[in-house]
Formats: sequence, structure tokens, C-alpha cells
Amino acid sequence: MQLRNSLSRRSLLRGLGVAGAAVRVGLPALDAMFNSSGNAYAATSRLGSAPIESRFVLWFNGNGIIERFWIPRETGADYQITPCLTPLAPHRKDVHIITGLDSPAARLPGPGNDHHRSMSALMSGTSFTGRGSGGPSVDQVIANKIGRDSRFRSIQVGVCQESFGESVQRNMSWADRDRPLPPEMIPQRLFDRLFGTKDEHWIDRKKSVLDAVRDDASTLEGQLGQHDKARLDEYLSSVRDVERSIASLPPEYSEVVERPSEGGDLKDWPRIAKLQTDLMVHAMASGQTRVASYMLTKCQGLSRFPWLGHTAWRHHEYTHGDVETASGQRILRDINRWHVEEFAYLIAKLKSMPEGDGTLFDNTCLTYVHEHAEANAHKNSGLSLIVAGGLGGLKTGLHSRVTGTIGDLYLTIAREIFKTDVETFPTAGKKLAEIV
Amino acid sequence: MGLLYLDPSSMTVKNFLALAVLCAPAALLLTVWPAGGVEAARIDNDFFAEKLYPVLDQAQCRLCHGEKGVASTTRLEFPNEDAPPAQIMQFGLGLAKFIDPLNPQNSLLFRKPTNREQHTGGERIKRGSDEEKILLSWIGRLSELSTEERSAALASSLTHKDSAYDGVMRRLTHSQYNNTLRDLLGDQTRPANHFPPEDYMHGFKNQAEGQSVPPLLAEAYGAAAEKLARNTFRGGDRNNLVPCTPASANDAACRAKFLRGFGQRAFRRPLADEEIAQYDALFQREANENGDFLRGAQIVVEAMLQSPHFLFRMERGPDGPWYSYETTSRLSYFLWDTMPDDRLFALAEAGNLATPEQVEETTRTMLDDPRSRKSMEEFLGQWLRFDRVLSTIRDRRLYRAFSSELAAAMTEETKRLFSHLVWDDGNFMDFLKADYGFVSTDLAELYELPEPDEQFARVDFPADSGRGGVFGEAMFLTVTSKPSDTSPTERGLYVREHFLCQDVPPPPPGLNTSLPPVTDEKPMTNRERLSVHLNNESCASCHRLIDPIGFGFEHYDAIGRYRDKHNLTIYPTRDETMKGLKKEETKYELPIDASAGVTGIRDSSFSTPKELGEVLAKEPSCQKCIVRQIFRYAMGRQESAEDRATIERLYADFRDSGFRFRELIISLATSEVFRGAQSHATP
Repeated sequence: MQLRNSLSRRSLLRGLGVAGAAVRVGLPALDAMFNSSGNAYAATSRLGSAPIESRFVLWFNGNGIIERFWIPRETGADYQITPCLTPLAPHRKDVHIITGLDSPAARLPGPGNDHHRSMSALMSGTSFTGRGSGGPSVDQVIANKIGRDSRFRSIQVGVCQESFGESVQRNMSWADRDRPLPPEMIPQRLFDRLFGTKDEHWIDRKKSVLDAVRDDASTLEGQLGQHDKARLDEYLSSVRDVERSIASLPPEYSEVVERPSEGGDLKDWPRIAKLQTDLMVHAMASGQTRVASYMLTKCQGLSRFPWLGHTAWRHHEYTHGDVETASGQRILRDINRWHVEEFAYLIAKLKSMPEGDGTLFDNTCLTYVHEHAEANAHKNSGLSLIVAGGLGGLKTGLHSRVTGTIGDLYLTIAREIFKTDVETFPTAGKKLAEIV
Repeated sequence: MGLLYLDPSSMTVKNFLALAVLCAPAALLLTVWPAGGVEAARIDNDFFAEKLYPVLDQAQCRLCHGEKGVASTTRLEFPNEDAPPAQIMQFGLGLAKFIDPLNPQNSLLFRKPTNREQHTGGERIKRGSDEEKILLSWIGRLSELSTEERSAALASSLTHKDSAYDGVMRRLTHSQYNNTLRDLLGDQTRPANHFPPEDYMHGFKNQAEGQSVPPLLAEAYGAAAEKLARNTFRGGDRNNLVPCTPASANDAACRAKFLRGFGQRAFRRPLADEEIAQYDALFQREANENGDFLRGAQIVVEAMLQSPHFLFRMERGPDGPWYSYETTSRLSYFLWDTMPDDRLFALAEAGNLATPEQVEETTRTMLDDPRSRKSMEEFLGQWLRFDRVLSTIRDRRLYRAFSSELAAAMTEETKRLFSHLVWDDGNFMDFLKADYGFVSTDLAELYELPEPDEQFARVDFPADSGRGGVFGEAMFLTVTSKPSDTSPTERGLYVREHFLCQDVPPPPPGLNTSLPPVTDEKPMTNRERLSVHLNNESCASCHRLIDPIGFGFEHYDAIGRYRDKHNLTIYPTRDETMKGLKKEETKYELPIDASAGVTGIRDSSFSTPKELGEVLAKEPSCQKCIVRQIFRYAMGRQESAEDRATIERLYADFRDSGFRFRELIISLATSEVFRGAQSHATP
């Protein structure tokens, strides 16, 4: 907070606060953000000794991998890069390939199929409830610690849309048990949300409207049963989040970030993936949020891959189809390599954003997870994932086989990288010394 | 099928047990039996919750014997997972109905889970294991209950309170939001089409439990409200929302008229004075600031469209002040998928919806309105998952006839048959076995029928056709297939889930569920391929229930075309091509064995879609399932144990009407549960 108090009045963007009080949300100062002509982010922070914020990105892919083309044979720094991981070659010093982590909650008996169970366990360390995740996902646990002063506590970004349509399949971020936070999957809407320009009059007016909504809801006090009250509270807490995010961004932002053009193939996923990545990175660079989740494909996803030349089936069907045959395996290899390609694009984008004495990448921790290890077997032990970024002593440039749980990893990240006081995470029991 | 058929409704505890004893082998080798004395004394009522319940949980009994499990028609039903301890205790004591007190070894509670007596779920508790000892201890305890204790336990287990969702607040669905805005503001833009999509839950998109409002949706509501309010007053009051001509920006009388009039339509009930005052203040501030009356109206519209009173259907029940208005909204959103119209508001105001007779009269009138057709089509599309039909794909090398237009025609055919039976008051069970269909030119070609006189005209199937009813439709045959071939497993599952309301448990965690690939060395039909399911008990216990249903459709390919033989195409793999081992695909024609049956249903063998339709059309659990599906859609929730009497009554009405769907809707709309007629005290 000291950072903000030290700024001049002019440099603060106006925002609305909870219950109408003018709370200054975490929008950065203009003169700190932009160069002298106002059309690019400044190369260095002008904030003097103020610390630069840390950021967290949880990056997800549905279905799983083909291990023989994904997992490096050797451990340590001199591992030979595998076919699926080749897009990471330019960044290999900055990424840590981690294999062997277990997701035990996926194997507890309960409702749902393997996909439902793995998804809930992977995101929250808890078992699937029959409706959704059994608890908050790790990005939300971290956002609740580090995101409170930002305009958006966290953002959820999505790309491919094809799925079987259930909540646990379509959402990766969970505010709490059975409370999904759906990703924004349309680039233009994501832009408007993050960078839409509004005038001050609009803000005042919006404030009056939301005040009225809240006053109206307050007449319901004491009239509702337990369940209804919980649901109303959820709505009102969402209204408060909206209220907090209402802000007028100065036009300088739209000179740096361009609104994605309407039109274009809305199912050209590689194109959408990059647009969404750009917007997410700009949202973090401009200090609007510190925590993001990125859902490239859905849980048990049904994406098609025309740009890879694989059009007979869909993603999930390819993972169980001809996986024994060489051609079936190559299709999976191509799909998995595309996932990594998009992740490599994100890394490159973060590295292209100057911040402080380095880049945005230096102040970020990225965690790349897959729904399953081997996709065909729905394997949820021995998960393969990637941790990347330059933040807080992350060890990189390695492939490590690690014994532990996904909860251990999340808790280690929350405590050691983000220095939060998160005390536990389901299935966590120890610090993973291998990563930090 | 070899399964002992037990019709729970027709059997008393006594002859149920007698049958069990009859079926039991005479000699029983029990190595462990808890002795009396010290050992037995330690087994009190807590023993069940602490010791046996975790064992049963681990054995996954609930997956089948749960509220909607495949074994839900047996008399054993586990409480929900989040059941409170008291309910678990009650359940444990209620198991006394599966005990033979005179001869505990013969108890079903012992013989079924250990598969000593044939149990579809197999040997869930291993014979001779520690778990079995725990089970036996509890059986010992139950068999020692006094007659009074036993009847008390049985009685309380019958009336156990279900812990299901008890709320009444439902959010407008996206479709209801669009329709409501159309009727409220004359808006045709269907703004909710751009909201975050709704998720399916319990088979429908309108289930209250699944209707959370995350910040992204709250934001979308806000943006839509702003735009809608602006459009409404752009260039004046185009929809005549203001019922008077304001003398000034500050005309208090006109303002009050607007607030009461519009407020009542937006909140679907009169506004309290206190509410009027709140919105009046907002109106005045905005109107005065801009010197424009309509600007005040605009901001009120924007705010009201974000009020929980608009977005949710808040109900306070028969003891609350707006009961007749709540009934109007329930009817309107169920039957029309939109807000009440002026006529319904007038009925509510006059209090003319208090009795079942009045509700029935109104319901009949509402069903004559074309809006009810849209709403029932919405029900149909969600029940049978048209979204999946429309997003399906087929391997183009094998199914050149398939296109998204054909998929749309498939759903249209189903809609036509449904609408015909519902609105022409046919016997709805013909939905499963009608020997006619409504086909487009493309579908006629697919079905090898003569071209219809016009698109989706009614055509009779030839007498020797296996087609008939929904199971013979390309819609069903396609949505249950994979891109390259049919899936008997998917087809069997679909029948169980959608037409018998049973959830088949998914494969146990960590099991490799992929079937061995079909190769040139051993070309196989699906029946042969799926026989691997029976080699492994953990697969067989469930697949026995589903695959044998699916085999009956094997004469229909993955887009619903008849095939005499199973045409198998094996393409060369990339390896084979590169090494020149195999240049072209190989084709096989394998004979199809379509004999099939439904485990648990007597005399259910069939070999065509039409024959299955005939079996299920007269099967009470299927007839009842249709009642349960429309109940879930109408109520926005799963039926709970407390709803059983209602479901039975609806079912009886449906049956007695000769399965007229319209009568089912009326019976549901007039039921106490739908009308919210029991007063409910807030906790």
C-alpha cells in the first residue's frame, strides 16, 4: 500500500470501493507505466525503491499427455529435449520440467468419471462433489492472499470451447466448493473488460446503480432460508467484485493494447490463444491483476485440430482412439506439442515486457498442468508439469523427478515463492525443496 | 440375464426374505460369527457409523444403491454423501429390513454384498475379510433388536429427511432472461446469448444448485442492463413504459405511476412502499441532474434489471404476502419460459390462483398458447441432449452423408414426434415405439424410405422395419456413437440414464478403459470387442447392465443407417504406410448378433430399436422416469425422498390419463410441491 500512497493524486485512477467508499484499487500510476510519449510501457520502473509485484499464472490443458514423447529420459540440467517440449528449447534455462507428482485425491471413491475426479483433484486437491470442485483452486488460494489490492483479484482466461458441457469440465478456477469462476473466452470481451475506456460521469452513474441494487437486496435480510441466503450472498459478493473493478482507464492504455478486431475465424484456436495470452500479459503488466488462470482446452475437451491436419476425431477421442498405433501416437504428440507451443508463446510474451531492471517474466511464476499424465490411461499419479519464471528463487533449467503431491507443489509455491501465510493445502505434507 | 428379479413395490419384507431364504444354498460355512457376551456388548449404535459405514463407503455401494443409481429400484438406498450423522445412524438401523432375525446367516444384508446370493454388483465385500467381520457384527446387532426396536427402526428409515437442496430461489435461466426482456422491454437482441454459458447438472441447465453467479456473470448482467436501459429510452419512451406524460423532469405523480407499474412487471409482484422509496430516490437524483424525466426512468430500469428480485425468483410461500404472484411466475416460467403476461398478473391480483382447480384452469389455457410449445421443446432438447447431437462429428472417410445440417434434421425429427404426441394428445409412450416418423428428404434417404411429400412429413415405417420410436431415430443412434463407429456401451448408458433415470457408476479410478485395438489379425464385431468387459469383475459388474442393451442397436451405424453386416475398415497406420507393409485400407463384413436385453427388467429381450421401445413403453420404471425428468425440469432440482409420494401421484395421473403428456403437465402444475403450497418456515 505504501507504493500507492506515495503517488500523486493525478496518477491514481479512480475506482469505486466496497460500500461506496473511494478505495484506491491497484491500478498503476500512468507516469510509472508509460514512456514519455505515452504509447508503450516504460522500460524501467520510476517508482524508485518500491517493490515490483509478483504474479502467478496457472496454465491448464485437458485430457493429458503422451508420456513417451513428453517426458525427458534424463534428469538434471543436461536432459535431452523431447518432441513435445521442443517449443521450449529457446527458454530451457528458464523452465523446470517436473515429473512424478501424485494427485491422490483423484483416486478417492466418489461420483463422476476419471476426468471429473482428476480435474477437481488437480485444481484443489479435493475430490469431485458430483457438481464441481470440492474446494477452492490453488490460483484462488493465492489470489486471496496477494490479489486483494488489485482491480481484479484474479482473472480467468479461456481459449477452446468444445466440451461435454458440465461445470467441472468447463471451469478450472473455483472460488470455493461448487463455485466455478468461468473463463472469458472471447478476446473482444476480455479486452473491453480489462481495457475499456469509460468517463468519470459513467463511473459515478454506475456507482449509483450498484448502490441501489445493494440497498434493494438489503430488504431481504432475515427473509431467506439458509440456502437462499448463501446464494444471495454469492451474488452480492460478485456485485462487490464488479464494483471494485469499475474504473476508468485512461486512453493511453488503448494505445499500448489494441482491441482485437471483430471477425476472423472464431474457432482458429492458435489465433485466439495468442490474442488471449497478449491480453492476459498486458493485464498483468499494467498491474490490473496479479493472478490469472489460463484454460487452453477443456477438461475432457473435444477440440478439433484442423491446423495440425487432424480432423477425423476430436481431442478426447484421439486420446483413447488408436493410441496403440504409431500414427495415433504421433497425433497425440502433435497435439501435446501445440500445447507447449502456446505456453512458449506466453513465456516469450512475458519476456518482451520490460519491468524494473528486467522483464515481467522475472516477476512471474507460471505453473503448467495437464489434466492427466498419460491421457489414455487417465493416469493421475506421476504427473508431468512445468514450472517457469524468474520469481523468488525458482530453480529452473532442469528436469526433476520429484516425489510428492500436487498439493506439496502448490503449497511450496504459495509459501516460498509468494511468501504468503497459506498454512495448508489439501494433500500437501511437505515442502518441495527441488523447486525452490 | 440370470438376475433375480425383485419388484420392490409388489413384495413385502416377509416374502422378500422368504424368497431370499429359498434361494440360499443349504449349507453355509461361516468361519466367523460374533459371539454374544463381551464382543456383542461393544457393538452399540455408533458402531455402524464408525465401523461399518466406512466399509460400505469403501465398497462403493452408494454408486449403485444411491438416489439415482442403477439399483435405485431395489429397496436399498444409501443416504447422500453429505448426510448428517443422525441420518446415517437411522440408515444403519433401517438395514434391519434386510435381516432375517431368526437366521442371521440368511440375511440379504450378508449374502448380497458378499455375492453369496447373486449380486449384480459382484463381491463388494470379500468373503473372509475383516470387512466381512464388521458387517457380520452389525448384522448380529440388528438381529438382536426387539420387535419394538425393529419396527421403530424400519418406520424411521422410511421417513428419513433427505438432505437435498431445500431452497426455493431460482435464477432466471439465460433463455428465460432473453424471453423476459423481450416481454418486458420489447428487446429482441437475446443478450444472454453472450453471457458465460450455463452448465449442465442432473441432466438439465436450469438446476438451482448449478446456478451460481460468479463475478463474470454479475458483470455481464450489469453491462446488459446498461445497454438495454439505454436502448429502451433512446429516442424517447418507445415502448410506452411510462404510463403518463410527465409535466416536468420532477413530476412526482407520474414518477410514482412508472415505478409501481414497471416495478411490478420487473419483480413480478407489487413493490413495497419502502422499495418504491429507494428507487424513487435514484430516479429523482438522475432526472434532476439531467433535467430529463426519462433519464430517471432509464437508471431505474438499469438498476432493477440487476436487482436480485428480478434476476432470481424469490419466494416466501403461502404465508408470505405475494403467494398468488409467486404461483403465476412458477406457471409462467415453467410453461412459457418467460414472465407472466397481463392476464396472469390480473389473476394474481384477484387472488384467483389459490386452489388447484383455479391453477388447472389457468394451466389448460396457458398450454393452448404457442409459447408453451417452445418451452416444452426446451425441455426435450435438454433431456435428450440435443446440444451433443448438434456438436457431434463423424469420420468423413466413413460417413460422407453426415453434416451439421443432417444433425439438425435429426433433432427436428425428434421434436416433431414429441410435439405430435404432446399436443395432439397421443399416448406419450408411443414416443418409444411409434411405427411412423417425421422425416426430411435427407433422413428419408438415410432410412431408405420414399421421399416425403414435404419436409418432415409423417411417414409410416414398413412393417418389417426395426425402426420405431426414439430409439430408431438417427438422433439417438448418432448421439450415442463415436466418430468412427457405434458404441453399444454409450447406447446402453443413454437408455439407462435418460429413460430409466439411473446413473451407472463410472469405471473405478485408475482403470485403463481402452479396448484392445482391432487389427487385421483378428477383425472383431463390437460385441466381441466388448466381451473383454466381462473378463474382469470390476468392469463386468457395471458393463453387464449396459452393454447388453446396446447390442440391440448394432444393425444401425454411427449415423443411424441400417447395416446388414458390421462393416469394419482398418486403415494402414503411418508406420505401415512408410514401411510399405500395407498400402490400402482393408475392409471386413462381419455378421451382427443383435440379441439384447435389459438386466433387471423381466421379459426384456429384444433385437431392434422398436422392440426395446415396446419393452420400455410398458415398463413402469421407464414411465416413471419420464415423470421424474419433467419434474426435475419444472422444479429446477432433483427429486428427493420427500418427493416420492408426489412422483407416485403424478405417475398415477399420467397412467390413468392413458399417458397424455398434457395431463402430466397439468397434474404437475397443480401439485402441492409445484405450487409451493406447503408453508415452509425459514430456518
